Amino acid sequence: MLSFPTSSVYQSSKCFVTYGVMAHLDPNQPPSKSKPWSTFDGQDFINRVEVIVPQGIVEKVQKILNEKAVPEYKRVVMSLHDIVSGDFYTRYIKEGDVMMLSEGRRGIDNVFTLRNGILTMFLDKEAYERAGIVGKPDGVKGKRGLKPRWVVEVDLTSASMVPGKKGFDRLIYASKNAFGTPITWLFCNLSSTVPNPDPLAPHSPTCCAVEPSVQQNIHVMLPILKPPVEAIGLEGREELEYFSTELYEWLSLIRLQSPRVLAGDQIDPYLCRYQVPGDGLQGKVCKLTWQGFLSPSWCRQMLLDLVAELPSKSWFSFSTTTFSKGMAGDNSEVSLFRPQEASGEYVLWEIKSHE
Amino acid sequence: MDSQTSSKSQPIAAVLLSRAHDPDEAKRILTEKIQQRPLFLHATSPPPSDARDKRRREREKKRLSRKKALKPKPLSANERRKLGLYKVPRSGQKYVLFEPLHQLWLGYIREILGQEIHTGGEGAAAKLTSADFHGAEVEVVRSGCVSRVGLKGIVIKDSRFTFEIITRKNQRKLVPKEGTVFRIEVPVAMTQTTETTTTQEGQSEDKKEQQPQETETPKMIFEVHGEQFQFRSADRANKKFRAHFSKIL
Repeated sequence: MLSFPTSSVYQSSKCFVTYGVMAHLDPNQPPSKSKPWSTFDGQDFINRVEVIVPQGIVEKVQKILNEKAVPEYKRVVMSLHDIVSGDFYTRYIKEGDVMMLSEGRRGIDNVFTLRNGILTMFLDKEAYERAGIVGKPDGVKGKRGLKPRWVVEVDLTSASMVPGKKGFDRLIYASKNAFGTPITWLFCNLSSTVPNPDPLAPHSPTCCAVEPSVQQNIHVMLPILKPPVEAIGLEGREELEYFSTELYEWLSLIRLQSPRVLAGDQIDPYLCRYQVPGDGLQGKVCKLTWQGFLSPSWCRQMLLDLVAELPSKSWFSFSTTTFSKGMAGDNSEVSLFRPQEASGEYVLWEIKSHE
Repeated sequence: MDSQTSSKSQPIAAVLLSRAHDPDEAKRILTEKIQQRPLFLHATSPPPSDARDKRRREREKKRLSRKKALKPKPLSANERRKLGLYKVPRSGQKYVLFEPLHQLWLGYIREILGQEIHTGGEGAAAKLTSADFHGAEVEVVRSGCVSRVGLKGIVIKDSRFTFEIITRKNQRKLVPKEGTVFRIEVPVAMTQTTETTTTQEGQSEDKKEQQPQETETPKMIFEVHGEQFQFRSADRANKKFRAHFSKIL
């Protein structure tokens, strides 16, 4: 992302559009460094994944889903002390790979996240001063005088984070004295093995399996599903902008289950002036939604499977939404659309929020 | 008036001047500026008129110097350093040596607080503010400088802006009071059940906790805000504390 100067005034979310070509997919070496794959990997915690496909290829999608394991996450009430000590710490954090997110909003409460073995704590002034672990200032520089907030990052996978070492003992002290209250966490085990006996069991977690909710046979008006030829090249920037905005709007209306995109929709133009751009073609689409606590690697894998399995002539759309951060509650999102009859091409929308 | 050396033909001043100026010039300067000028060898002071005055003056001077010698002057910084009043020798830097002091202090505090140790509150706070803290076991609970949090030890020196404590590992730590909150626990000698009350006064907060196990005695725990406590322990005895603006709260 371009480095915009952080400002104290709320700024609306920004959308970055990319129109590119996917490299050839080798099943033995799944891509992760190039766009669009790196964009999907760069998100932290995914809340919602939505896939829109034409009705004709829904069976293929079902086939993919039947072969894959259903992602699941757990909701558990623990204190930070339980996480950094005992069996949970040795089995899940040191040996395994987990992702955890605590309750709260980042600008207001004390939020803890655990990802890739790094525990990040977003604290207010009192909690930071009581904890005793050095961190970095968090927030806009100009506004920090009134209520300074702090970010503390601890790498739990490093060799110095074992009981008995000074740095780790400070963390234990902080978790006992400053963060003693149990809070609700979302927990997702990224590795395929579950340690036995499960260290999470004493805290009685609530297991939630993320099944997709499928909406079939939505009879809609279809827009132009292929980017204009003029969009490529420096002069075609305006065409690309128009095309991508209209297409994103149409996809969002389908995701919102809006009646405006349905075929045969009669709405008084005084109430709504939206019309599906295009020639007036109609078709049936199907929408699948996963909502829960998902990992970016699962999303990337899902996208890979879709690209590999679905027929190359048909279009589809894949979008992921993250959990919201901060007071305004904006979340960031990445959407991908593969145009019809243009295998390998994609249009990518990255919506980055203010925080 | 004229300082003429007998051995030389010319005065020294004329010799020096002739080095710097031509003869006519040198002579002019000598006659105009040097020869006629009187040279005072000591400050003008009226000569003692008679012996009696002189004796009187001597007596006064002696009396004043006597008085000055009796009044103690404050030590200079060098003298203080040489005396080494606050030096703790290596052999003395042991935590176990200060534990009896800590026990003494606990007894002293229990005596000061009396019955207030069970109830806590403003009365206890008022007594604690004027108490002396040498020998108290303090723990840094909250600090603007986060690396200080967790320090625990017995106070060996309570200066105006700092606490010098000795930790269990026999280390002397100098902890500034600014922006720091200290927690002190006083075990109550008696084993009655106690209630927990929390009140706040100006600069010190009192809290009481009862330990769940029967083997542990109940303790009175209070927290001291170092920011408001920046006085020497001698000065604190008669000080009336008023609540000042605190950056922490």
